[in-house]
Amino acid sequence: MIEAEGVCLNYSNGTMALKNVDLHIESGEMVYITGPSGSGKTSLLKLFMGMEYPTEGKLTVLGQPIIRGQASNIRQLRRSIGPVFQDFRLVKGRTAIENVMLGARFLDISNKKLKESAVIALAKVGLEKKMFSMVEHLSWGECQRVAIARAIVRRPRLILADEPTGNLDMDNALNIMELFASLKEENTTVVITTHATHLLNNLKEGRHIHIEGGIIYQKGWVD
Amino acid sequence: MKTIISNFGYFLKEARTIIKINLMSNILSILSIGLILFFAVATISGWWISNQAVEVLEEEAEINVYFAEDIDEDEVDHMMKKIHALTGVEEVSLVDKNEAYHRMEEVLGKEAKVLKYLDENPFSPYIEVQIDLESMDSIIERLKSIEGIEQIRDNREILDKIRNLSSVLKTIGYIFITAVGVSTLIIVSHIIRTGIYENREQINTLILLGAPDGFISFPFLIEGMILTLGGGLLASLLLSLSLRYVYSVMAGPLPLIPLPDMESMGRNLISIIMLLSAVFGLLGSLFGLRSARSR
Repeated sequence: MIEAEGVCLNYSNGTMALKNVDLHIESGEMVYITGPSGSGKTSLLKLFMGMEYPTEGKLTVLGQPIIRGQASNIRQLRRSIGPVFQDFRLVKGRTAIENVMLGARFLDISNKKLKESAVIALAKVGLEKKMFSMVEHLSWGECQRVAIARAIVRRPRLILADEPTGNLDMDNALNIMELFASLKEENTTVVITTHATHLLNNLKEGRHIHIEGGIIYQKGWVD
Repeated sequence: MKTIISNFGYFLKEARTIIKINLMSNILSILSIGLILFFAVATISGWWISNQAVEVLEEEAEINVYFAEDIDEDEVDHMMKKIHALTGVEEVSLVDKNEAYHRMEEVLGKEAKVLKYLDENPFSPYIEVQIDLESMDSIIERLKSIEGIEQIRDNREILDKIRNLSSVLKTIGYIFITAVGVSTLIIVSHIIRTGIYENREQINTLILLGAPDGFISFPFLIEGMILTLGGGLLASLLLSLSLRYVYSVMAGPLPLIPLPDMESMGRNLISIIMLLSAVFGLLGSLFGLRSARSR
Protein backbone atom coordinates (compact mmCIF):
# COMPACT_ATOMS: atom_id res chain seq x y z
CA MET A 1 0.00 0.00 0.00
CA ILE A 2 2.61 2.57 1.14
CA GLU A 3 6.32 1.81 0.99
CA ALA A 4 8.92 4.35 2.09
CA GLU A 5 12.63 3.57 2.10
CA GLY A 6 15.13 6.13 3.38
CA VAL A 7 12.82 8.99 2.39
CA CYS A 8 14.09 12.49 3.08
CA LEU A 9 12.33 15.75 2.35
CA ASN A 10 14.22 19.02 2.32
CA TYR A 11 12.42 22.22 1.43
CA SER A 12 14.09 24.77 -0.84
CA ASN A 13 14.57 27.14 2.11
CA GLY A 14 16.88 24.56 3.67
CA THR A 15 14.38 23.14 6.20
CA MET A 16 14.71 19.41 6.65
CA ALA A 17 11.12 18.20 7.08
CA LEU A 18 11.70 14.43 7.04
CA LYS A 19 14.82 12.41 7.64
CA ASN A 20 15.44 8.86 6.54
CA VAL A 21 11.85 7.64 6.83
CA ASP A 22 11.34 3.89 6.54
CA LEU A 23 7.67 2.93 6.64
CA HIS A 24 5.51 0.10 5.47
CA ILE A 25 1.72 0.42 5.68
CA GLU A 26 -0.46 -2.55 4.78
CA SER A 27 -3.81 -2.47 3.01
CA GLY A 28 -6.72 -1.99 5.45
CA GLU A 29 -4.43 -0.68 8.20
CA MET A 30 -5.39 2.16 10.52
CA VAL A 31 -2.38 4.33 11.31
CA TYR A 32 -2.24 7.29 13.71
CA ILE A 33 0.69 9.65 13.35
CA THR A 34 1.29 11.89 16.33
CA GLY A 35 3.86 14.54 17.02
CA PRO A 36 4.22 18.20 17.96
CA SER A 37 3.67 21.08 15.53
CA GLY A 38 6.34 21.24 12.85
CA SER A 39 7.43 17.66 13.47
CA GLY A 40 6.78 16.61 9.83
CA LYS A 41 3.28 15.03 10.06
CA THR A 42 1.74 17.17 7.33
CA SER A 43 4.89 16.88 5.19
CA LEU A 44 4.58 13.11 5.34
CA LEU A 45 0.94 13.24 4.20
CA LYS A 46 1.89 15.70 1.41
CA LEU A 47 4.43 13.17 0.18
CA PHE A 48 1.79 10.41 0.21
CA MET A 49 -0.53 12.71 -1.81
CA GLY A 50 2.17 13.51 -4.36
CA MET A 51 2.09 17.20 -3.36
CA GLU A 52 5.80 16.98 -2.56
CA TYR A 53 8.51 14.68 -3.87
CA PRO A 54 11.18 12.93 -1.78
CA THR A 55 14.55 14.62 -2.12
CA GLU A 56 16.13 11.27 -1.24
CA GLY A 57 14.95 7.68 -0.95
CA LYS A 58 12.09 5.79 -2.55
CA LEU A 59 8.35 6.21 -1.96
CA THR A 60 5.55 4.19 -3.51
CA VAL A 61 1.84 4.78 -2.82
CA LEU A 62 -0.71 2.28 -4.13
CA GLY A 63 1.98 1.04 -6.50
CA GLN A 64 2.69 4.51 -7.90
CA PRO A 65 6.23 5.83 -7.37
CA ILE A 66 6.16 9.40 -6.08
CA ILE A 67 8.71 10.98 -8.36
CA ARG A 68 8.83 14.08 -10.57
CA GLY A 69 7.69 13.79 -14.18
CA GLN A 70 4.73 11.56 -13.30
CA ALA A 71 2.10 14.31 -12.89
CA SER A 72 -0.53 12.50 -14.92
CA ASN A 73 -0.07 9.20 -13.04
CA ILE A 74 -0.04 10.99 -9.69
CA ARG A 75 -3.30 12.78 -10.64
CA GLN A 76 -4.71 9.31 -11.39
CA LEU A 77 -3.41 8.03 -8.03
CA ARG A 78 -5.23 10.85 -6.20
CA ARG A 79 -8.55 9.53 -7.48
CA SER A 80 -7.98 6.50 -5.20
CA ILE A 81 -7.20 8.67 -2.19
CA GLY A 82 -9.68 10.40 0.10
CA PRO A 83 -7.84 13.43 1.49
CA VAL A 84 -8.94 15.48 4.48
CA PHE A 85 -6.94 18.68 4.44
CA GLN A 86 -6.04 20.62 7.55
CA ASP A 87 -7.58 23.75 6.00
CA PHE A 88 -10.52 21.67 4.62
CA ARG A 89 -10.23 23.18 1.08
CA LEU A 90 -14.00 23.42 0.70
CA VAL A 91 -15.37 25.39 -2.26
CA LYS A 92 -17.04 28.60 -1.13
CA GLY A 93 -20.45 29.60 -2.49
CA ARG A 94 -21.55 25.95 -2.58
CA THR A 95 -23.64 23.91 -0.18
CA ALA A 96 -22.30 21.11 1.98
CA ILE A 97 -23.76 18.43 -0.30
CA GLU A 98 -22.38 20.14 -3.42
CA ASN A 99 -18.93 20.10 -1.85
CA VAL A 100 -19.25 16.45 -0.93
CA MET A 101 -20.45 15.54 -4.44
CA LEU A 102 -17.66 17.58 -6.03
CA GLY A 103 -15.15 15.11 -4.57
CA ALA A 104 -16.47 12.30 -6.74
CA ARG A 105 -18.09 13.94 -9.77
CA PHE A 106 -15.29 12.92 -12.08
CA LEU A 107 -15.22 9.32 -10.83
CA ASP A 108 -17.29 6.71 -12.58
CA ILE A 109 -20.42 7.15 -10.45
CA SER A 110 -23.89 8.03 -11.73
CA ASN A 111 -25.40 11.32 -10.55
CA LYS A 112 -28.21 9.56 -8.71
CA LYS A 113 -25.86 7.16 -6.93
CA LEU A 114 -23.48 10.02 -6.12
CA LYS A 115 -26.24 12.08 -4.55
CA GLU A 116 -27.41 9.10 -2.45
CA SER A 117 -23.82 8.41 -1.34
CA ALA A 118 -23.30 12.09 -0.48
CA VAL A 119 -26.42 12.11 1.72
CA ILE A 120 -25.25 8.94 3.47
CA ALA A 121 -21.73 10.36 3.96
CA LEU A 122 -23.13 13.57 5.45
CA ALA A 123 -25.39 11.54 7.73
CA LYS A 124 -22.38 9.53 8.90
CA VAL A 125 -20.64 12.73 10.04
CA GLY A 126 -23.87 14.02 11.62
CA LEU A 127 -24.59 16.78 9.10
CA GLU A 128 -27.72 15.45 7.37
CA LYS A 129 -29.68 18.48 8.59
CA LYS A 130 -27.16 20.93 7.18
CA MET A 131 -26.57 19.39 3.78
CA PHE A 132 -28.12 22.35 1.96
CA SER A 133 -26.34 25.00 4.02
CA MET A 134 -23.67 27.08 2.33
CA VAL A 135 -20.27 26.14 3.71
CA GLU A 136 -19.67 29.78 4.68
CA HIS A 137 -22.56 29.44 7.15
CA LEU A 138 -21.12 26.36 8.85
CA SER A 139 -18.93 26.34 11.94
CA TRP A 140 -15.27 25.34 11.77
CA GLY A 141 -16.07 21.88 13.15
CA GLU A 142 -18.94 21.40 10.69
CA CYS A 143 -16.66 22.35 7.77
CA GLN A 144 -14.20 19.75 8.99
CA ARG A 145 -16.95 17.12 8.94
CA VAL A 146 -17.99 18.15 5.40
CA ALA A 147 -14.35 17.63 4.35
CA ILE A 148 -14.43 14.17 5.94
CA ALA A 149 -17.70 13.34 4.15
CA ARG A 150 -16.11 14.45 0.85
CA ALA A 151 -13.22 12.06 1.51
CA ILE A 152 -15.34 9.01 2.33
CA VAL A 153 -17.93 9.53 -0.45
CA ARG A 154 -15.23 8.62 -2.96
CA ARG A 155 -14.92 5.14 -1.41
CA PRO A 156 -11.15 5.52 -1.60
CA ARG A 157 -8.56 2.80 -1.10
CA LEU A 158 -6.57 5.17 1.09
CA ILE A 159 -7.69 7.98 3.40
CA LEU A 160 -5.13 10.59 4.34
CA ALA A 161 -6.53 12.83 7.06
CA ASP A 162 -4.53 15.74 8.40
CA GLU A 163 -5.76 16.66 11.90
CA PRO A 164 -9.35 15.63 11.10
CA THR A 165 -10.50 16.12 14.69
CA GLY A 166 -8.62 19.34 15.36
CA ASN A 167 -11.78 21.45 15.55
CA LEU A 168 -14.14 18.90 17.09
CA ASP A 169 -15.26 18.35 20.64
CA MET A 170 -14.44 15.04 22.33
CA ASP A 171 -17.70 13.29 21.42
CA ASN A 172 -17.60 14.34 17.76
CA ALA A 173 -13.88 13.53 17.57
CA LEU A 174 -14.49 10.01 18.88
CA ASN A 175 -17.39 9.55 16.44
CA ILE A 176 -15.16 10.56 13.54
CA MET A 177 -12.38 8.23 14.69
CA GLU A 178 -14.92 5.40 14.93
CA LEU A 179 -16.18 6.27 11.45
CA PHE A 180 -12.65 5.99 10.07
CA ALA A 181 -12.13 2.73 11.95
CA SER A 182 -15.33 1.32 10.41
CA LEU A 183 -13.81 1.77 6.93
CA LYS A 184 -11.55 -1.19 7.73
CA GLU A 185 -14.50 -3.39 6.75
CA GLU A 186 -14.12 -2.07 3.21
CA ASN A 187 -10.35 -2.71 3.39
CA THR A 188 -9.67 1.03 3.25
CA THR A 189 -6.32 2.11 4.65
CA VAL A 190 -6.55 5.14 6.92
CA VAL A 191 -3.62 7.35 7.87
CA ILE A 192 -4.46 10.08 10.37
CA THR A 193 -2.24 12.74 11.83
CA THR A 194 -3.30 14.17 15.16
CA HIS A 195 -2.14 16.27 18.06
CA ALA A 196 -4.74 14.66 20.26
CA THR A 197 -2.78 11.78 21.79
CA HIS A 198 -5.44 11.51 24.50
CA LEU A 199 -7.89 10.31 21.82
CA LEU A 200 -5.75 7.25 21.19
CA ASN A 201 -6.60 5.93 24.64
CA ASN A 202 -10.23 5.65 23.59
CA LEU A 203 -9.53 3.85 20.31
CA LYS A 204 -9.89 0.12 19.87
CA GLU A 205 -7.27 -0.65 17.28
CA GLY A 206 -4.64 0.77 14.93
CA ARG A 207 -0.91 1.48 14.72
CA HIS A 208 0.59 4.44 16.50
CA ILE A 209 3.58 6.19 14.91
CA HIS A 210 5.25 9.13 16.56
CA ILE A 211 7.24 11.66 14.57
CA GLU A 212 9.52 14.31 15.93
CA GLY A 213 12.07 16.48 14.13
CA GLY A 214 11.29 14.65 10.90
CA ILE A 215 12.31 11.30 12.39
CA ILE A 216 9.80 8.48 12.79
CA TYR A 217 9.47 6.46 15.97
CA GLN A 218 7.30 3.38 15.84
CA LYS A 219 5.29 3.47 19.03
CA GLY A 220 3.39 0.22 18.64
CA TRP A 221 -0.24 -0.79 18.50
CA VAL A 222 -3.37 0.62 20.02
CA ASP A 223 -5.18 -2.11 21.93
CA MET B 1 -16.77 11.77 -22.43
CA LYS B 2 -19.26 9.97 -20.18
CA THR B 3 -18.12 12.18 -17.27
CA ILE B 4 -18.62 15.30 -19.41
CA ILE B 5 -22.16 14.28 -20.43
CA SER B 6 -23.28 13.19 -16.96
CA ASN B 7 -21.91 16.40 -15.43
CA PHE B 8 -23.23 18.80 -18.06
CA GLY B 9 -25.77 20.32 -15.66
CA TYR B 10 -23.01 20.83 -13.10
CA PHE B 11 -20.77 22.49 -15.72
CA LEU B 12 -23.54 24.91 -16.71
CA LYS B 13 -24.10 25.79 -13.06
CA GLU B 14 -20.36 26.28 -12.53
CA ALA B 15 -20.13 28.47 -15.66
CA ARG B 16 -23.00 30.59 -14.29
CA THR B 17 -21.18 30.93 -10.95
CA ILE B 18 -17.91 31.89 -12.69
CA ILE B 19 -19.76 34.52 -14.76
CA LYS B 20 -21.48 35.88 -11.64
CA ILE B 21 -18.14 36.29 -9.84
CA ASN B 22 -17.01 38.74 -12.58
CA LEU B 23 -20.44 39.86 -13.73
CA MET B 24 -19.60 43.39 -14.90
CA SER B 25 -16.49 42.28 -16.85
CA ASN B 26 -18.51 39.56 -18.49
CA ILE B 27 -21.37 41.91 -19.46
CA LEU B 28 -18.88 44.40 -20.93
CA SER B 29 -17.17 41.59 -22.82
CA ILE B 30 -20.50 40.48 -24.33
CA LEU B 31 -21.19 44.08 -25.40
CA SER B 32 -17.71 44.50 -26.91
CA ILE B 33 -17.88 41.19 -28.77
CA GLY B 34 -21.41 42.04 -29.98
CA LEU B 35 -20.33 45.41 -31.37
CA ILE B 36 -17.17 44.02 -32.97
CA LEU B 37 -19.16 41.24 -34.64
CA PHE B 38 -21.81 43.73 -35.76
CA PHE B 39 -19.28 45.99 -37.50
CA ALA B 40 -17.70 42.99 -39.18
CA VAL B 41 -21.00 41.66 -40.44
CA ALA B 42 -22.11 45.14 -41.55
CA THR B 43 -19.07 45.23 -43.84
CA ILE B 44 -19.83 41.73 -45.08
CA SER B 45 -23.43 42.74 -45.84
CA GLY B 46 -22.16 45.78 -47.80
CA TRP B 47 -19.96 43.50 -49.86
CA TRP B 48 -22.86 41.08 -50.28
CA ILE B 49 -25.23 43.80 -51.52
CA SER B 50 -22.70 45.26 -53.98
CA ASN B 51 -21.83 41.79 -55.23
CA GLN B 52 -25.51 41.11 -55.83
CA ALA B 53 -25.79 44.45 -57.70
CA VAL B 54 -22.87 43.49 -59.95
CA GLU B 55 -24.42 40.09 -60.66
CA VAL B 56 -27.78 41.63 -61.54
CA LEU B 57 -26.18 44.29 -63.73
CA GLU B 58 -24.00 41.70 -65.45
CA GLU B 59 -27.04 39.60 -66.22
CA GLU B 60 -28.68 42.68 -67.68
CA ALA B 61 -25.64 43.75 -69.71
CA GLU B 62 -27.03 45.80 -72.52
CA ILE B 63 -26.30 48.72 -74.82
CA ASN B 64 -28.86 51.34 -75.71
CA VAL B 65 -28.42 52.68 -79.23
CA TYR B 66 -29.98 56.10 -79.99
CA PHE B 67 -30.52 56.95 -83.65
CA ALA B 68 -31.29 60.14 -85.58
CA GLU B 69 -34.94 61.19 -85.30
CA ASP B 70 -35.33 61.76 -89.06
CA ILE B 71 -34.71 58.17 -90.17
CA ASP B 72 -37.75 56.11 -91.12
CA GLU B 73 -38.94 52.73 -89.86
CA ASP B 74 -37.32 50.72 -92.68
CA GLU B 75 -33.97 52.26 -91.96
CA VAL B 76 -34.37 51.48 -88.23
CA ASP B 77 -35.31 47.91 -89.15
CA HIS B 78 -32.24 47.65 -91.40
CA MET B 79 -30.06 49.08 -88.61
CA MET B 80 -31.43 46.51 -86.16
CA LYS B 81 -30.58 43.65 -88.54
CA LYS B 82 -27.02 44.98 -88.91
CA ILE B 83 -26.62 45.17 -85.14
CA HIS B 84 -28.01 41.67 -84.65
CA ALA B 85 -25.39 40.33 -87.06
CA LEU B 86 -22.53 41.53 -84.84
CA THR B 87 -20.66 38.88 -82.82
CA GLY B 88 -21.64 38.92 -79.14
CA VAL B 89 -25.08 40.41 -79.71
CA GLU B 90 -27.75 38.17 -78.22
CA GLU B 91 -30.98 40.09 -78.75
CA VAL B 92 -32.07 43.33 -80.40
CA SER B 93 -35.38 45.11 -79.79
CA LEU B 94 -36.87 48.52 -80.42
CA VAL B 95 -38.06 50.57 -77.44
CA ASP B 96 -40.44 53.25 -78.70
CA LYS B 97 -41.23 56.54 -76.97
CA ASN B 98 -44.20 55.13 -75.01
CA GLU B 99 -42.30 52.03 -73.88
CA ALA B 100 -39.39 54.24 -72.76
CA TYR B 101 -41.83 56.35 -70.72
CA HIS B 102 -43.41 53.25 -69.06
CA ARG B 103 -40.01 51.79 -68.22
CA MET B 104 -38.98 54.99 -66.47
CA GLU B 105 -42.26 54.89 -64.54
CA GLU B 106 -41.42 51.37 -63.33
CA VAL B 107 -37.87 52.33 -62.38
CA LEU B 108 -39.01 55.38 -60.39
CA GLY B 109 -41.80 53.50 -58.63
CA LYS B 110 -43.40 55.81 -56.05
CA GLU B 111 -41.40 58.73 -57.38
CA ALA B 112 -42.92 58.31 -60.89
CA LYS B 113 -45.41 61.06 -60.13
CA VAL B 114 -42.73 63.61 -61.16
CA LEU B 115 -43.26 62.46 -64.80
CA LYS B 116 -46.84 63.77 -64.70
CA TYR B 117 -45.55 67.32 -64.45
CA LEU B 118 -44.08 67.02 -67.96
CA ASP B 119 -46.21 68.40 -70.82
CA GLU B 120 -45.19 65.75 -73.32
CA ASN B 121 -43.24 62.48 -73.39
CA PRO B 122 -39.54 63.60 -73.33
CA PHE B 123 -38.06 60.17 -74.00
CA SER B 124 -36.53 59.20 -77.34
CA PRO B 125 -36.95 55.78 -78.94
CA TYR B 126 -33.86 53.57 -78.91
CA ILE B 127 -32.63 50.13 -79.86
CA GLU B 128 -32.01 47.88 -76.88
CA VAL B 129 -29.13 45.45 -77.50
CA GLN B 130 -28.66 42.49 -75.15
CA ILE B 131 -25.05 41.40 -75.33
CA ASP B 132 -22.45 39.07 -73.94
CA LEU B 133 -20.62 41.23 -71.36
CA GLU B 134 -17.20 40.03 -72.51
CA SER B 135 -17.83 41.41 -76.05
CA MET B 136 -18.98 44.87 -74.94
CA ASP B 137 -15.85 46.76 -76.08
CA SER B 138 -15.71 45.22 -79.57
CA ILE B 139 -19.49 45.67 -80.10
CA ILE B 140 -19.29 49.37 -79.16
CA GLU B 141 -16.37 49.86 -81.58
CA ARG B 142 -18.31 48.28 -84.46
CA LEU B 143 -21.54 50.15 -83.63
CA LYS B 144 -19.67 53.42 -84.06
CA SER B 145 -19.12 52.57 -87.74
CA ILE B 146 -22.87 52.03 -88.46
CA GLU B 147 -24.47 54.99 -90.15
CA GLY B 148 -27.41 56.75 -88.47
CA ILE B 149 -26.39 56.01 -84.87
CA GLU B 150 -26.19 59.18 -82.78
CA GLN B 151 -25.39 57.95 -79.32
CA ILE B 152 -24.39 54.68 -77.65
CA ARG B 153 -25.11 54.29 -73.93
CA ASP B 154 -23.80 51.36 -71.89
CA ASN B 155 -23.77 50.51 -68.17
CA ARG B 156 -20.06 49.58 -68.17
CA GLU B 157 -19.03 52.58 -66.09
CA ILE B 158 -21.58 51.87 -63.36
CA LEU B 159 -20.69 48.19 -63.45
CA ASP B 160 -16.98 48.94 -63.05
CA LYS B 161 -17.66 51.30 -60.17
CA ILE B 162 -19.80 48.78 -58.32
CA ARG B 163 -17.29 46.03 -59.08
CA ASN B 164 -14.49 48.16 -57.58
CA LEU B 165 -16.64 48.98 -54.56
CA SER B 166 -17.43 45.31 -54.13
CA SER B 167 -13.75 44.39 -54.30
CA VAL B 168 -12.84 47.07 -51.72
CA LEU B 169 -15.65 45.92 -49.40
CA LYS B 170 -14.52 42.32 -49.81
CA THR B 171 -10.96 43.24 -48.78
CA ILE B 172 -12.25 45.31 -45.85
CA GLY B 173 -14.50 42.37 -44.93
CA TYR B 174 -11.51 40.00 -44.77
CA ILE B 175 -9.52 42.50 -42.73
CA PHE B 176 -12.49 43.00 -40.39
CA ILE B 177 -13.01 39.26 -39.91
CA THR B 178 -9.32 38.83 -39.07
CA ALA B 179 -9.45 41.79 -36.67
CA VAL B 180 -12.67 40.48 -35.12
CA GLY B 181 -11.12 37.05 -34.71
CA VAL B 182 -8.01 38.38 -33.00
CA SER B 183 -9.96 40.85 -30.77
CA THR B 184 -12.48 38.21 -29.72
CA LEU B 185 -9.74 35.69 -28.96
CA ILE B 186 -7.94 38.28 -26.81
CA ILE B 187 -11.12 39.31 -24.95
CA VAL B 188 -12.31 35.75 -24.33
CA SER B 189 -8.91 34.37 -23.35
CA HIS B 190 -8.36 37.31 -20.98
CA ILE B 191 -11.74 36.73 -19.32
CA ILE B 192 -11.04 32.99 -19.03
CA ARG B 193 -7.66 33.66 -17.44
CA THR B 194 -9.27 36.10 -15.01
CA GLY B 195 -11.91 33.47 -14.18
CA ILE B 196 -9.22 30.86 -13.58
CA TYR B 197 -7.34 33.27 -11.32
CA GLU B 198 -10.52 34.07 -9.34
CA ASN B 199 -11.25 30.35 -8.96
CA ARG B 200 -7.66 29.21 -8.36
CA GLU B 201 -8.42 27.79 -4.89
CA GLN B 202 -11.21 25.62 -6.24
CA ILE B 203 -9.05 24.52 -9.18
CA ASN B 204 -6.18 23.60 -6.85
CA THR B 205 -8.57 21.57 -4.69
CA LEU B 206 -9.88 19.74 -7.75
CA ILE B 207 -6.32 18.99 -8.86
CA LEU B 208 -5.54 17.58 -5.40
CA LEU B 209 -8.69 15.47 -5.57
CA GLY B 210 -7.42 14.06 -8.88
CA ALA B 211 -9.93 15.73 -11.23
CA PRO B 212 -8.87 15.44 -14.88
CA ASP B 213 -7.99 18.63 -16.79
CA GLY B 214 -11.06 18.27 -19.02
CA PHE B 215 -13.36 18.27 -15.99
CA ILE B 216 -11.69 21.36 -14.52
CA SER B 217 -11.63 23.22 -17.87
CA PHE B 218 -15.16 22.54 -19.12
CA PRO B 219 -17.00 25.26 -17.13
CA PHE B 220 -14.48 27.82 -18.46
CA LEU B 221 -15.02 26.56 -21.99
CA ILE B 222 -18.78 27.05 -21.51
CA GLU B 223 -18.14 30.52 -20.08
CA GLY B 224 -16.21 31.50 -23.24
CA MET B 225 -18.98 30.12 -25.46
CA ILE B 226 -21.65 32.01 -23.47
CA LEU B 227 -19.70 35.27 -23.89
CA THR B 228 -19.27 34.95 -27.66
CA LEU B 229 -22.73 33.51 -28.34
CA GLY B 230 -24.19 36.33 -26.22
CA GLY B 231 -22.17 38.79 -28.31
CA GLY B 232 -23.38 37.00 -31.44
CA LEU B 233 -27.02 37.35 -30.38
CA LEU B 234 -26.50 41.06 -29.71
CA ALA B 235 -24.84 41.52 -33.13
CA SER B 236 -27.73 39.61 -34.77
CA LEU B 237 -30.26 41.91 -33.11
CA LEU B 238 -28.37 45.03 -34.21
CA LEU B 239 -28.04 43.61 -37.71
CA SER B 240 -31.78 42.90 -38.01
CA LEU B 241 -32.64 46.43 -36.92
CA SER B 242 -30.01 47.96 -39.23
CA LEU B 243 -31.10 45.92 -42.25
CA ARG B 244 -34.73 47.04 -41.80
CA TYR B 245 -33.60 50.65 -41.55
CA VAL B 246 -31.17 50.52 -44.49
CA TYR B 247 -33.68 48.74 -46.76
CA SER B 248 -36.41 51.25 -45.95
CA VAL B 249 -34.00 54.12 -46.69
CA MET B 250 -32.63 52.62 -49.91
CA ALA B 251 -36.02 51.61 -51.27
CA GLY B 252 -37.02 55.31 -51.42
CA PRO B 253 -34.39 57.53 -53.04
CA LEU B 254 -32.24 54.73 -54.47
CA PRO B 255 -34.70 52.45 -56.28
CA LEU B 256 -32.20 51.73 -59.08
CA ILE B 257 -29.94 49.59 -56.85
CA PRO B 258 -31.00 45.93 -57.04
CA LEU B 259 -31.00 44.72 -53.40
CA PRO B 260 -30.96 41.04 -52.40
CA ASP B 261 -33.97 39.66 -50.51
CA MET B 262 -33.74 41.10 -46.98
CA GLU B 263 -35.15 38.03 -45.19
CA SER B 264 -32.78 35.52 -46.79
CA MET B 265 -29.79 37.83 -46.47
CA GLY B 266 -30.61 38.43 -42.78
CA ARG B 267 -30.91 34.69 -42.15
CA ASN B 268 -27.58 33.97 -43.87
CA LEU B 269 -25.77 36.76 -42.06
CA ILE B 270 -27.15 35.68 -38.65
CA SER B 271 -25.97 32.12 -39.37
CA ILE B 272 -22.51 33.51 -40.17
CA ILE B 273 -22.49 35.57 -36.94
CA MET B 274 -23.49 32.63 -34.77
CA LEU B 275 -20.99 30.30 -36.46
CA LEU B 276 -18.19 32.84 -36.03
CA SER B 277 -19.24 33.40 -32.38
CA ALA B 278 -19.09 29.69 -31.63
CA VAL B 279 -15.72 29.22 -33.34
CA PHE B 280 -14.18 32.32 -31.73
CA GLY B 281 -15.62 31.33 -28.32
CA LEU B 282 -14.17 27.85 -28.51
CA LEU B 283 -10.75 29.02 -29.75
CA GLY B 284 -10.61 31.92 -27.27
CA SER B 285 -11.45 29.62 -24.34
CA LEU B 286 -8.89 27.02 -25.39
CA PHE B 287 -6.30 29.75 -25.86
CA GLY B 288 -7.09 31.22 -22.39
CA LEU B 289 -6.99 27.79 -20.73
CA ARG B 290 -3.73 26.93 -22.41
CA SER B 291 -2.11 30.20 -21.45
CA ALA B 292 -3.36 29.86 -17.82
CA ARG B 293 -2.03 26.29 -17.66
CA SER B 294 1.38 27.25 -19.01
CA ARG B 295 1.63 29.89 -16.28
